[in-house]
Amino acid sequence: MRKLLLTLAAICLFGIAASAERKEVHILSVNDMHAKIENMPQLAAIADSLRGLYPDLLIVSAGDNRTGEPLNDLYETPAYPMVVLMNMIGFHATTMGNHEFDAGGKGLGDLMRMSGFSYICANLEPAPAFGVAPRPTQVFDVNGVSVGIVGAVEINERGTPDTHPDNCVGLSFTPVLETVQKYRGLRDECDVVILLSHIGYDADVEISRELPWVDLIIGGHSHTAIDGGEMHNGVMITQVTNRLENATHTTVTVENGKVVGRKAEVINVAGYPKKNKVVEEVVRYFSDNPAFQRVLATLTAPMTSYEELGCMMTDAWRVETGSDVAFTNTGGVRYDTLPAGPFTVSDVLRLDPFNNDTVQLELTGQELKNMLIATHDADIEYGFPKVSGIKCEVIFDKKNPKKIKDLKITMEDGSKFDLKKTYKVATNSYSASIADSPRKDPGRSLNRTTASVIQAYLEHQGKIDYTGACRVFESVSKR
Amino acid sequence: MKVTVNRTTVELFEGARSQHAVLRYLVHRRLGAALLRRGRIFDAQGHEIGLDAPLREGQIIKFKIPK
Repeated sequence: MRKLLLTLAAICLFGIAASAERKEVHILSVNDMHAKIENMPQLAAIADSLRGLYPDLLIVSAGDNRTGEPLNDLYETPAYPMVVLMNMIGFHATTMGNHEFDAGGKGLGDLMRMSGFSYICANLEPAPAFGVAPRPTQVFDVNGVSVGIVGAVEINERGTPDTHPDNCVGLSFTPVLETVQKYRGLRDECDVVILLSHIGYDADVEISRELPWVDLIIGGHSHTAIDGGEMHNGVMITQVTNRLENATHTTVTVENGKVVGRKAEVINVAGYPKKNKVVEEVVRYFSDNPAFQRVLATLTAPMTSYEELGCMMTDAWRVETGSDVAFTNTGGVRYDTLPAGPFTVSDVLRLDPFNNDTVQLELTGQELKNMLIATHDADIEYGFPKVSGIKCEVIFDKKNPKKIKDLKITMEDGSKFDLKKTYKVATNSYSASIADSPRKDPGRSLNRTTASVIQAYLEHQGKIDYTGACRVFESVSKR
Repeated sequence: MKVTVNRTTVELFEGARSQHAVLRYLVHRRLGAALLRRGRIFDAQGHEIGLDAPLREGQIIKFKIPK
């Protein structure tokens, strides 16, 4: 009898010891938030709720925390609001997204110094001159489980992330897979290994073949809505779409130092019923951003038509990008009057609110002519595009008054417009998309919003007067 | 950069995003750019990717308008 009791006691003790080895790691992850600061109070409430259940909750971002919201991007220190809000929510780490570089090395270094969380990115070399000091990896103790994270950002054919090349001056990057493989020692060091990736879903799937030592890829960049986690080559991959619509809660179960379970669920952030009140107050504070009232230039005479404002907008794109010609679809000019006086950041954002990219193309005169007509045809309710660097005489068909019968172009100074000559042309990404006309050069994004280019122009001009500016002259054919 | 939307290949500027591909597709098919806001964009595997997803050469995406 005594022997039996001792055996039962031993089994119970062994059972307790074995169950003590089974632990869970809880991770709340987001990606491509793109400065959607109005959803941060909901994200904070989700983090609060999960932390109530799992005090060691790990909160991470797979990059592109900034860019996409003027409240954040035009702050005196660009992207400062997002850093403050991420600090408040208790983020532990982020990797670099391509947009983390949108303010150049110095802008990134400034933000890193203000961040209460780590920047984990193995394939970005430290740049001490800017204060850019990413960690290649970091090991977190989560509920007694060691969790190793290695980070990586996508690299394009130029060898830099997708941002304006000027933003990467002084920064150097190394190939993703080759670099990440250097840290495979994390497998021996840690119970759980995570790749915090900003390389896109397809690349995550591809790279997973080469990374059997990784348990989980928390991905970003491609804005791919994965419903929970997907298993590829033995690695779980998670990602959500952009702008904080959703977040992912991943649970990794570890037993005796080995991962024995992985599950992930998507949490709807935008529709979450609770908000963290303190974070909400801070978002309200940032929304009353005095930076929007900053005066960029003085308007010495009132603007009184879409034509005048369109001339100013396209002058900005032409001058600031060093182009010969610029144009915008007329629907892109959002108001037609502005009183004389200060021209503020807010005025620019109301005039050009679409977050369009600036696109530059090299076009022959004939290709440009075709593109202007194609833009008109696709945006027909608004009329012929507004232009800079050229003047256009548009002759509409008498039988079909919306159809262009002929278009005569001269350079703005009155000189000949050459259909065979190649011109540098700037436009917005909307016009470059809707203009379905043949051209050899499809163009390239300059990775600057058209609104930011207008701001730069106004600041450089100081004073502007577009009284009577008119470059598009419309008539109807006689036959 | 060439991208395929609903089996139609469109050529776009470098750095274009998913909405730009769909805009070109809609104009090319004479469906009108305004339809963009009524539909949803998916990758080749059926994951939703939203309007601002970066694109790469040769990518296949689908644009669907919910019934």
